[in-house]
Parts: sequence; structure tokens; C-alpha cells
Amino acid sequence: MSALLPAPMAATRPDPRPLTEAPLTEAPLAEAPLTEAQAGLWYAQALDAANPIFNTGQYLDLRGPLDAGAFREAVDGMVAEADSLALRIADTGGGPAQWVEESRRPWLEVIDLSSDAAPEQAALDAMARDMATPVDPARQALAAERLYRLGPARHLWYQRVHHLAVDAFGTDLLVRRVAGLYAARLGQGVAGPPLAPLGIALDEDAAYRAAPRRATDAAYWRDAFAGSTEVVGLAPGHAMTGRWAQRHSLPLGAGLSDALREAGATHGLPWPDLLAALVGAYIRRHAGGEEAVLGVAFMGRLGSPAARVPCTLMNVLPLRLKPDEAAPLGTCFAEAGRQLLRGRRHGRYRGEQLRRDLGRVGAGRRLHGALLNLLPFDSLPAFPGLEASQHVLGTGPVDDITLTFRGQPDATALRLEIEANPALYSAADIAAHATRLAHFCEAALRAGRLADVPTATPDETRWLLHDLNATNHPVPDTTLAALMAATMAATPQAPALAFGDTVLTYAALDARSAALAAALRARGAGPGAIVAVALERSIDLVVALVAVLRAGAAYLPLDPGHPEARIARILDRARPVLALSARALPGGVPVLAPGDWPLEGAAPADGPAPGDAAYVLYTSGSTGEPKGVVVEHRAIVNRLEWMRCHYGFGPQDRILQKTPATFDVSVWEFFLSFVSGGTLVVAPPGAHKDPVALAALLRDQRITTAHFVPSMLATFLAEPGARGLSLARVFCSGEELTAELRDRFHALVKAGLHNLYGPTEAAVDVSFWPASATDRSHPVPIGRPVWNTRLYVLDEAGRPVPPGVAGHLFIAGVQLARGYLGRPDLTEAAFIPDPFRPGERMYRTGDLARIRADGAIVYLGRSDHQVKIRGQRIEPGEIEAALAGFPGLRQVRVIAREDRAGDKRLVAYVVPGEDHDAAALRAYAAARLPDAMVPAAFVTMGALPVNSSGKLDRGALPAPDYAASRGRAPAAGTEQRLAALFAGVLGLPEVGAEDDFFALGGHSLLAVDLMRRVREAWGGDLGLGALFGHPSVARLAAMLDGETGNIPGGDSGLGPLVRLQQGDDALPPLFVVHPAGGISWCYGGLARALAPRRTVYGLQAPALDPAIAAPDSLDALAAGYVDRAMAATPHATFHLAGWSVGGILAHAMAVRLRALGQRVGVLAMLDSYPSDVWRAEPEPDENAPLRALLAIAGYDPDRLPDLELTRATVVDFLRRGDSPLGGLPDAALDGVVRVVQGNNRLVRAHRHGRYDGTVTHFRAALDHAGRDLSPAMWQPYAARVAVIDIPALHANLTGLAATALIAPLLGQLLADARNEERP
Amino acid sequence: MSLTRERMRADIAALIHEAPEEIGGDDNLIDLGLDSMRAMNLLVAWSKTGLELDFSEFAERLTLDAWWAIVRRCQEDAARRGGVQGGA
Repeated sequence: MSALLPAPMAATRPDPRPLTEAPLTEAPLAEAPLTEAQAGLWYAQALDAANPIFNTGQYLDLRGPLDAGAFREAVDGMVAEADSLALRIADTGGGPAQWVEESRRPWLEVIDLSSDAAPEQAALDAMARDMATPVDPARQALAAERLYRLGPARHLWYQRVHHLAVDAFGTDLLVRRVAGLYAARLGQGVAGPPLAPLGIALDEDAAYRAAPRRATDAAYWRDAFAGSTEVVGLAPGHAMTGRWAQRHSLPLGAGLSDALREAGATHGLPWPDLLAALVGAYIRRHAGGEEAVLGVAFMGRLGSPAARVPCTLMNVLPLRLKPDEAAPLGTCFAEAGRQLLRGRRHGRYRGEQLRRDLGRVGAGRRLHGALLNLLPFDSLPAFPGLEASQHVLGTGPVDDITLTFRGQPDATALRLEIEANPALYSAADIAAHATRLAHFCEAALRAGRLADVPTATPDETRWLLHDLNATNHPVPDTTLAALMAATMAATPQAPALAFGDTVLTYAALDARSAALAAALRARGAGPGAIVAVALERSIDLVVALVAVLRAGAAYLPLDPGHPEARIARILDRARPVLALSARALPGGVPVLAPGDWPLEGAAPADGPAPGDAAYVLYTSGSTGEPKGVVVEHRAIVNRLEWMRCHYGFGPQDRILQKTPATFDVSVWEFFLSFVSGGTLVVAPPGAHKDPVALAALLRDQRITTAHFVPSMLATFLAEPGARGLSLARVFCSGEELTAELRDRFHALVKAGLHNLYGPTEAAVDVSFWPASATDRSHPVPIGRPVWNTRLYVLDEAGRPVPPGVAGHLFIAGVQLARGYLGRPDLTEAAFIPDPFRPGERMYRTGDLARIRADGAIVYLGRSDHQVKIRGQRIEPGEIEAALAGFPGLRQVRVIAREDRAGDKRLVAYVVPGEDHDAAALRAYAAARLPDAMVPAAFVTMGALPVNSSGKLDRGALPAPDYAASRGRAPAAGTEQRLAALFAGVLGLPEVGAEDDFFALGGHSLLAVDLMRRVREAWGGDLGLGALFGHPSVARLAAMLDGETGNIPGGDSGLGPLVRLQQGDDALPPLFVVHPAGGISWCYGGLARALAPRRTVYGLQAPALDPAIAAPDSLDALAAGYVDRAMAATPHATFHLAGWSVGGILAHAMAVRLRALGQRVGVLAMLDSYPSDVWRAEPEPDENAPLRALLAIAGYDPDRLPDLELTRATVVDFLRRGDSPLGGLPDAALDGVVRVVQGNNRLVRAHRHGRYDGTVTHFRAALDHAGRDLSPAMWQPYAARVAVIDIPALHANLTGLAATALIAPLLGQLLADARNEERP
Repeated sequence: MSLTRERMRADIAALIHEAPEEIGGDDNLIDLGLDSMRAMNLLVAWSKTGLELDFSEFAERLTLDAWWAIVRRCQEDAARRGGVQGGA
């Protein structure tokens, strides 16, 4: 019910009503609630008050002699009738309400720009500014009517109205009314009936809300949406309106008009129905999935008195289309027509309400994708004597994309207008959609069925298939063996190979590989034969691979660490003529061990041909059988020559070889150097998993190029030693390189970063992308094809998909593998005829991809179940097949789960039969599968869940409970602390003492993470090997306790001397002295960041142990430290550093060492001040030690005002937090408190001696405001004081940021002091 | 052949896939699924019986009875005009 006042209308202008045919019978609106259509808009505007997109606007370009007086009367006459233009909408306390405010009526303003130099531009600029100005519906007028006079015969009539007041249909009513009044005023027509009062529409809205029909409608829509899935838009991303919209308008030709008319006649449907069906098919092609859900604009007032009310009533009805592309087109048309018809019957039910009914509220949970607006009565009314054209400036919010087809009932004068959210679509995107959609519709109307219609336009198809793949480049038709031989001959004395301290020249590599090649040939290894190579990373491994190639055979790499059963299976299939291995291999293959290799001999003169196989790599196969990919010389030569030229590799390069030979990445690592004349640096076995070792290797060996699988790169970058590295190039492949990782890489490492992509089946990599520091791509593309390579992204039917659309990635060109060894069936299925190049093949990668507008390809994931675990390609089917052989197992399925973001693990779901031994299953798997393929968890189930179609219901599989912990709980102390770290890394609530890290789902990357945390908590660097040797909490704890000393109470890390870093024994160690709390763990970061690596010992307060008596004086304490330091190192030079109190102690140690005649290299203080300063301070209150304890644990006591400062509450607080201190036993915490108190006493009583060397003082330059503290205070106690300002607070000097500044400076000081050692 | 209420009802019913008897004289045709395009096409078809039908008049009340009333009036007008002409 709207409240309508029976009072006459009050107008502030001369009454224009004489023009109207009938007097207004209704009065302006008094306060009324908003309609359902308005309410959604009002909340949206209120939530984003500064957003001007709620302004709708347009202008009419009026050419010809305008009767200005008549026009003003016409517009003002319309304004007087259209109450919605004078609305004020505000929250009156009980929700938003609306009422008419006469002062807001937008009477026409006339702006004369005829004397302006560029009047049209001035008018358009003014409109643009006005449209871009947000309107507050409570405070500002909702509408404006302006007439810009450009000249005597040219006027622009601008109309801007907030979407709360009118929709597109309402705007049309306003224009028609003005045209009618103008014509009548000129005596050239009748004005027609006046606009109907707003109250009619409000009454209707209220009546519908109360009507039983509303419930029927709601039920209809709920049924219509049963079983619907997530709506996918034309573009990926978050569909929420921006502040403006992209706009594009395309006139559609007579071809489409004719086709629509003919099809309309054939199928008995009007053209809007036909276009709705075709747009649905178009969108489904782009968005993928089975169905497209469009929103169809429904004007919602035809046939009711509200049909003549200018207001906002438009509704959006969802249309679910699931076109059967193979069916005759008429079927699709009829279905769309039927749905539209039924939708209209229930068309008053608001889309917003339906969205709430279906729970699709909030980001990403929408009701429909693209919005379709079909306007078959699009014509401007006549303005006598004038030529008018309409220009739309804005139609309100655009969440995703709005496709508006305007035209006449007979399908003539068709035009497609697209408005789109600029966050999701670029201007180029929507222009492309306009052209493509027009093409698609016309082609579909002329085809019998959708299946025959391409998605891309002919121009796009040419670009996609040919322009982007124009990669022809001459490459010599030769072999890898010949290329390497040429380098050996060209630069015999250049270093070819480095492994540890061993360096081989090209001449030496030539000699050794030639001799072995001769021996191989003598044993039958020539072209066509296969030689297995099962060697750890070593010089021998490299010589073996080169020799096999020079003999003309193909090498088959085997990982000596792989299970015997798998090696046996591969050898059985590949049938190598012999194996190069340090040990016997299963199956009786003859073995030539490195010790038996000849040192002399000439390589066979007849090497391989370009078409001979170079290597055979086994990859995981879904059928349960590993597949041997055979790659020929011609293919790998193309790959290597492209890489050499593209990145400019040459003799100066030192490439790191760290990838196991069984992965294809190793192929370019091994051989690129030998075709470019550079040096190949071979990492020690195991080093590829150890970030600390890798960082040292990269630095020490001056590596110019290295490869990382992205997950390993992320782990590597977390290692402090990786920071500040500088090299020429880092290559990534094997997994998705995220934009975040790219950016983190560039923040920490100075190197070019390159993203490569390719399967083993196409000679390692087929595409490349420079992921440089300036690359803003998100996601990072896999890029463009390499030389002589074609990449296609095709839909299910093999059609090229347009840019931006997901499809299947296919590879064609010279790099394709020959096929799978001994499996013509698999070869034929994967390598299929290239439909675009008759006579050639293409490889179906199983990867999904899309092509960006610039042609770069973006990887989207797998189309099947293949997974990548730590860069390794794994077919769950192969694991299932291996497990299926386990006795007593009825059913098994393996899937990759990512229950924690970024941590993908394999989980086996098993249905046991009789006599099933669950414990033996893991061992069975480990014996048959490589590490990465052994499931992290085995979940036993009564039956596997299946969906209605009988397929495995993957969503119903439970997440594994890794915490299936049995056995005892961790003991207090080291075990508890360690168990907490295990649990944190593994994402488990708790971990038992006997639990095995790897059995709980830990893998090597998690292991690196765990050991980093162990290092941070204990200071000691155990190395990754320690975890592999001691994988349970109890065993690792025992090792830790043994490693870092022990104090009574069973805790570790609190001994008087802890090693924070193990470094080069040739360098004298650095001793760092604890601050007030007596613990020196805080120097862990600094210790690890020192380059070159140097052993760092932390001195800790003996009095942490309650059994040890507190020292009498600071000098006595320092003397004890000196004894300990001298016992710890044979070096005659002592480097000392200390933070705060630690600096005072370090100074006292230096004085003592000099007195003993020892040499002091560096004495560094981190913001320490002499005891004189502290003597003058008042005695600290009794809470000071507790506050210090909190500070040591990493909390700012001032930020914990609610924490009562008693020993019990503070200890309890620390126990609950994640500080390593929280894991200390009570006795140790008591020790810390005691040490803090004791140190205060010692410092106050201390009298400094004089040190005859330099004190280097790292001053906390941001601190001590208002206090008279200066490093110069040390001058009486040192020969010299050097001050280095660090922009940090005192409390943060051992934090990450300050450490990053201090470590290089301290490292340099230490290095210089070493030089001074040898005068 | 002059337009009858039954033919109008049959034509409307065919467009909205309903039996003619399902369409009540007072049913809102939009609520039954008719749209402006189809309504327009109906008028075009019915105009071929020699009537001058104004779409905007039809658009205000979309019921069979309202439409029939308009058609009747137009038919009577035409008959009257025809009569006047015939008598001249």
C-alpha cells in the first residue's frame, strides 16, 4: 500500500500542464517504502557511497532547428509528471524510504556552448564529469535534465537519473513523453496520455509481495534451479560492479538480420528467443561446463498500469541452457523459447530474492553470468523537424557483462551493445566478444546444428593456429653426440665438468667418454640399442651419459635409490643391452661398473643419426605401467639449440646439474653446457634437497644457471643463505610458478627468472616465459612456443578456442617424442594426427590452458587425474596398480589431496578383504614405488563412496587422520618442544613421541621446513640428514640433546656453549654473548646470515641451571666465558659480539683475552652502553625480570597491559604461546628470571677495564630518544670506538630486518680482521 | 474473414503452448507467458483482417476480454465507416 495524498500537486515552476491531455489525478508521493527492485540498489549504493556507476545517463543528439521554448516546456512537462525524478531516498530509522521533494524536480537547464571553440567536446566533457559524480540519494537530487546548445541547429539533450529512480524502460518512457509533448507544442501531433503516477507501481509492488502468487513463483524458481552448479562467467574473476563500465557497440549486418528472420519463420519463434539460445551456447563454449546460466532482463510491467510509470521495475530472470550441440538447432531454440515463456509467467519474482532463496549471496555465489537484454522495439520517437540519435552513457551497475541486442520486431537495424566490468574485461576483450558473438550467431543460424559452428572467428583462428605458431627456425640436422664432439674438439683445455674439487677439461671428458663409448660399442651398444645407466650423481654419471650417446645408443637412466621391483620392471620392458652401474641390477642385465671402464679408446666413427633415439625416460603411467618415452636426437637438438641461442649460453656459463637423471629437466642440465662450451657443475648426491647446501654451492661455484621446481624454489628462498644470491638465470618448470613466488624470488635473488613448460613427450620444454622482475602477469604464463614447435589450445571437439577460453593443450613440431617404448597402443592414443598439418602428429598433453590476448599461454591444470607431487609427474593409476598386488586388498583408489593450501599429498583409500595387514601395506608400497609415489596416508574404508552414476565420489572421501598416533606422549622438555614443531609443520593437533615424521605425511619439503624451525628453536644446525636418520620425535630429541649439550632438568639448548652455526674450520669462530636473559638463541639468524659461513658459538649463562651458583662479578663471569671459548677452538684469534648486556660481557672477555696474551679480532657491540650509565638508574622494580622474560620470548610487555606480572601468570602465558621459551621446563624459566636479576646486579657493580683495540658499535639509531646514551661513552675503555648506525630499535637488533643490515657489515669486519692476522 | 474472440483465444493459446480453454477472459496474458514481441506479432496478424489496431492501446490491459473489446470497437468503427462510405 502506498500512501497517496489527495492534495493538488505543488509545482515551483509555471504549470506546464496545459499541454497534457488529461489533468493529473494523483498527487506527489508521500513517504513510502522502497520497492523490491529499489531496495537492492539502495543497499549497494549505501555500501559504496562514492560509486557513481548507479547513475544512468544518455543524451540525444538533436540536429536541426530546435524550438527552444517548446522543448523546455516539453521537458518540464515530463519532469512535472515524473515523480520518480524528484524522489528523495533516505534511511528514516526503520529502513530506507522514499518521498517526493519538489525542490529536487530537475527542471531543464539550458547551457549555451555555441561560443565555445569546441562546443561538442565541452558538452561531452561536462556530461562525463557529471556521470562520474556519485549521488547521495539522501542529500542530492537523483536526476538532471540539461540542454547543451552547440549552435543554432545542434543541441544535445542530456538526461542523468540515479538507477533508483528509473530503469532503461523508464528512460524510454521519459523520452517518448518529451517527444510527444514537443510535437504537440509545435502542433504536429498529439501528446498522448500523461505518464502514470509512481504510486501505481508502488501499489503493484506491495500487492505482489502480499499475493499468494509470490509463493507459487518462488516454488517455480526453486524447482527450476534444482541441481544447478556454480555459475561460471565469460571471464574468470570476482563479479562485483566497479565504478564504471567498458562499453562497446557494434552494428550487426543484414546477414544476421536475414538469418534471424529465416530461422524465426522456420522455427516459429521471435528473434529474441533465437538469440537467447545462441548466446547461451556461445557462453557455454567459453565458460565450459554443461550449462550456461544467463540473466535475461525482464521489464516486468507490460500489461499492467505500471507500464506507463517511469521507475525502476526491471527484473532479471535466470535462464539455464544446456544446449545439445549435436541435436538439430531447432531443439535448442525450442528449449530456450519454452524456458523464456515459463520464466515470464513467474517473472515478477525478484532475481535478488531468488538469490537469497538459493543461498547464492556473497562473492562468487551468483545466480547467473552474463546479462542478456533483448530490445525488439528499439526506436527513437520522432521530434518534428529534428534528426535525433541516442547515445547511452550508463545503465547502472555491471557485475559481469551485459549483452544488449537492439532492433526492430522484424530483426532489422540490429545492434549489439556490450557493457562490461572493467575488472574482468578489457576494452579489447569486449570488442572481440562483440565480433565473435556476431560471427557465432550468424554461422549457427546457417548451420544445421551447433556442433558444426566454430567458436573463434576466421581471423582469430588464423592467429591462433598460424601466427602464434610461426616458429620456423633453421636448426642443423645433426645429433647431440656430434654437437658435443665439436665442442670437445674446439676447446679441449676449457673446463667441462666440475664435481667437488675435481675438474675435467673438455679433452679429458673427450678421452674418457670416447674410451667408454668404444667399450660400449664393443658390447653391442650402437644406434637402436639401449644402455641403462644407474649411477649416483658424479663425474662417472656424466661420462656414462656422454659415452652412451657417442656410441650411438640411447641412454635409459635409472635411479639407484628406486625400489628394486620398479627397476626390475623397467629393465624387463626396455631390454637394455647392458647397464652402467656400480652394482648388480635385477634381471641379469650385463653390468659394466665404473671401475672397469677403459681409460683409452676412440669413439666409434659412425655415431648416431638425427633420427636415432637419444634417451628413454620412464614416466608414471595411468595403467599402472611406467611408460618409456623415446626421444630422438633431432628433437633434443632443437630444444638445446633453441635454449643456447635464446638465452645466449656460452663458455662463460657454469650450469648447475642437480636434477636426478630420471627427470627430463636433467637432459638440458647435462648437455646444454657441452653444446655451448661452458662448465657443468655437478651437485653432490642429495644436495638437490638441501637448501643450505645448494645456497653454498651456488655461491662457491659461481653458478650462472640453475633450475628449480617451483615448490623447491619456495623452500630454497626461505633459507637465509639464498638471500642476496646473484646469478644470470634461474629456470623453473615442472609445476606452476606462481606470481607470488616470482615476486618473492626477485625480492631476494638477483637473477633472470624463466618459466618453462613441457612434457617428457616433447623433449623437455616447448614453451617459455620471462618471469622477470617487471613481469606483472598473474598468473604467470607458460608463454610461447620454442623453435619449430606449435601449440594448440582446442576444445572437446578439436576446435581452436578463442583467446581467454580454457581448452586442451596440444603440441606439434620437431620436438615430439617417437613414442612409448614397446607400446604402440599408448603411442597411437597420445600422438594423434595434427588436423591442421596433414601428415604430421600432435601430442595430447592432458593439460588445460588458455591463450592470453597477447598470445601467451596460461597453464590451468590437468584434465585428468595426473598430479604433480614436488614437481614429479604421477599417475595415481600407477600407484593403484602397484597396491592392487597386495594380498587381502579388495579395492584401492589413490587421489592427491590438498587439505592444507600448497601442501599436496597422496592418499590411498583401501577397502580391505580378509587377512588384510594394514601395517604391511605401507612397506609393500615403499618397496615398489619411488618415494614421491608412496601415499602419505592409507585410509581404510568399508566401501568406497560412489555417486549416482556409479563413479567414485571424490568429494565424499574423508580427509585422512594423520594423527593416528599410538604409543607414549612426548616427555617434558625437548620431546615436547619437538613434538610441537612436528605438529605445526605437519598440520596436526598433536604428535606422539614415537611417531615417525614421514609416516605422518611428512615429505622432503616439509622436512626442510621442520629442520629450519629446529634450527631457529635450538640454534644448532643439524642438517636434513639428521631427520632422515632420526625421523621420530624421541629419536630426534635424543640427538638434539646429545648435540647441543644438556643441563639438569632434561632440557637442551640451554648449555653454556651452543653452536649456532657450523662453518669453515679454517676460519676462527665468532663467539656471541647472551643478552640479559642469559640465552643466546637470538643470534641464530645473524649466525646463519654471515658469509662466508663461519662457525658461531653462543655463550649462555651457566646460572640458567639452578644448581649452578650465581657468579660474584661480571669479570668472573667473563673469565669463565673466556675459558670456555678457548677450549672450543684451536684458533688464536677470538671474534666477539654481544647485544645489550652481552656487549658489556664481550668487552670484559676482550680485556681478559688480551691480558692472557690472546689475539682479539673483532669486538662488536649491538647497542651496549657502559655500566656507569646503569649505576645512575634507579633500581628496577621487582617486575623487571618478568618483563625481560616476556621481551626475550618475543613479546612487547607494554602491549600486554592485561597480563598480571606474576611469575605464575607470565609462565602460563608463555606456555600457551608459540615462543620456544614456552617449551622450557619450569626450572629453566626460573633460571632465566634469576639470570636477569643477577645480570642487573653484576652490571651495576662492574668496573670496565681498558681494551687496547677497536670497539665496533652497531647503534640502534631509532632508539634512545631523550636519553643521553652514546657509543662514545666507551672511549675511556677502548683504543678506538667505531660507530655504525642501524635504523632499528634496540629491542629489534637481532630481528630479521636488522640482521639483514648487520650481517654483511659484520661479515666484512670478520674477513678484514682475518687479513690482519697475517701481517 | 472477420476476427472472432475464439480465433483470438486460439491464436494466443498456440503462442504460449496452452489449450485455448486454459485462457480465461480476465487472465493477464503476460502472466501466462506472452511477451511484447508475440503480442505484437498477434496484432500484425490480426490487422490483416482489415483492422487498424494500435499497439499502445493493447499494451495497457493484456487480457483476452480487454483485447476483444478493442477489436469489437475497431470492427464497429470500420463497419460504421464502411456504412458511411457505402451510403455516399
